Amino acid sequence: MLVVSFAARPGKDNCVMVDDLPYVYARTECGEFVLPARCPHRGGPLHLASFEPGRTRLVCPWHERATSVTRLLRAGIPAVRRGDTVTAVLPVADGAPHRLEHRPMSEGLSWEGGSR
Amino acid sequence: MSHTAVPYRPFELSPAELRDAVQRYAYHPIYLDSEEWVNEDNPYRRQLRPQVLKHLDFSRVLPKDEILNYHSLAAQRLLTAIYEADLMFLPRAGLADKWDDFRGFYSPSNRALGERIRPALERHAFGFLDAEVEVSGKWTRNDLVALMSQHQRQDFSEPSKSEIAIVKSADPVRAARMWLVQFAPDFLSEASPMIRNVLGNYGGAQSEWFKIIIDEYGYGVHATKHSRLFEETLRSVGLDTAIHHYWQFYLTSSLMVNNYFHYLGKNHELFFRYLGALYYTETTLVAFCRRAAELLTRVFDGAADVRYFTEHVHIDQHHGRMALEKLILPIIDRYGPVVIPEIVRGFEEFKVIADIADGDFAEQIDWMDSGADYKRLHDPVWAAVEQGRITVPIDHLVEPRGELSNTHCHDGDELCHIVSGTMRFVNGLDAYQILEAGQGTVIRKNRLHGAIIESEECVYQIHSVKDYRQCLS
Repeated sequence: MLVVSFAARPGKDNCVMVDDLPYVYARTECGEFVLPARCPHRGGPLHLASFEPGRTRLVCPWHERATSVTRLLRAGIPAVRRGDTVTAVLPVADGAPHRLEHRPMSEGLSWEGGSR
Repeated sequence: MSHTAVPYRPFELSPAELRDAVQRYAYHPIYLDSEEWVNEDNPYRRQLRPQVLKHLDFSRVLPKDEILNYHSLAAQRLLTAIYEADLMFLPRAGLADKWDDFRGFYSPSNRALGERIRPALERHAFGFLDAEVEVSGKWTRNDLVALMSQHQRQDFSEPSKSEIAIVKSADPVRAARMWLVQFAPDFLSEASPMIRNVLGNYGGAQSEWFKIIIDEYGYGVHATKHSRLFEETLRSVGLDTAIHHYWQFYLTSSLMVNNYFHYLGKNHELFFRYLGALYYTETTLVAFCRRAAELLTRVFDGAADVRYFTEHVHIDQHHGRMALEKLILPIIDRYGPVVIPEIVRGFEEFKVIADIADGDFAEQIDWMDSGADYKRLHDPVWAAVEQGRITVPIDHLVEPRGELSNTHCHDGDELCHIVSGTMRFVNGLDAYQILEAGQGTVIRKNRLHGAIIESEECVYQIHSVKDYRQCLS
């Protein structure tokens, strides 16, 4: 497994690319989690997904495929955020090539606080 | 037979009840202001400045950017006194003139009044960690091992901010002595918070944890007990070894570090968090103690007894391994992965607290070293006040010779201006400025300080300027 740290806030180095798959950290009204940012349908940019109104599901901007936030919270990538840095344990081999880069985030995934 | 069930009501104090309860606790005679800078061989005397507590609201969670404010210092001092009523302390020279203090500190009343306010104070002082650390996703045993392994591979040889501050200080000996004082709350009763976790019965891991404690306690040979080794370190550099002799010189974050482990150990629902924090400390202490031994040897020119630190360089290599292999992993195997997020949380939370303490101490050394600079800054800031360029709240004070303003800090910058008389303004252990009429000093936000009057009378003013730099433009 690959343990990697990256920025938890939108901006520089907020995405880790491993095996051509981007992972970002989402902070939502429902909770925080590491989001594999490629839609399993046709590879749409899930870091730009929106929340389905009234439901805990993310909607891909390409074909409107829904992804369960509850599942990402309970069964997602194990991660811990400390301040503005998140450390995730990714399901790839230790030492796997990876790089940090920037991904813009949709408003619903870069929630800045308040009561939940 | 039927009966009407009474709904369970969790314990909670309203903000007004909490304020009253805090004052009731802190007005015990052993907690009143002292006329001396240090506590002479009296482990029960802890200055809580009760007269100020009526102005403080402990009912809210302090956010991280306020965690070095006076609210936090007051809360950490209170919590230290409360937690340590569970620990056994006796004065070196006997109880002849301290019997009332002994009875008072350990009295059912003091303990009950402390327990009544403890949950709210803990929420106030440590609640910020809820926002600071978030654990998510599904954790397995292997995920945790991967996280811990990556942590162990890190290079911990770089000096901390505190160590750099000591080396670069204008007075490294003074800075290093202040540093050692900060460890006293923890090291002089070392492993006491940990022992809270080996009471009860939870199988083989309990006995494994006990082995770590046996090491800390020197296997029953007092000369090798870790707290005893630390006493030798203090003594070798001319510091007193009595419990809380230097109470007034503890920084907020130094108390926070020690209290964090009491907080986890006292509240057994946080048992698994303690495991994570334990692993972090045991693994990082090896490198820290190696650096500390070298630093102290250099600063004190070989005169410092550093066996406390060299002992940890050796034994904590074992403790880090034991914490993971004998404690954490067997506990996960037995109680399931549900406990892992809490272990991860404790591991990360202590990093947050250690970072705060490191920065706080480095700032304090700069504050101590810059006493003359802040004294000089009085003049331009006072000019801004006198010329009416700024309007700020003012306190007018008149104090007699010997009046000791017990150490404290402020939530913003302040200007102290002496109208008449002489004040010794103290900004750390062995660090002070003499302020005469017409002089004064800028007091930096969050920096620990106190003062004593050295003339028959001193008339002075405290101007709450918030940010002194705004007075310079």
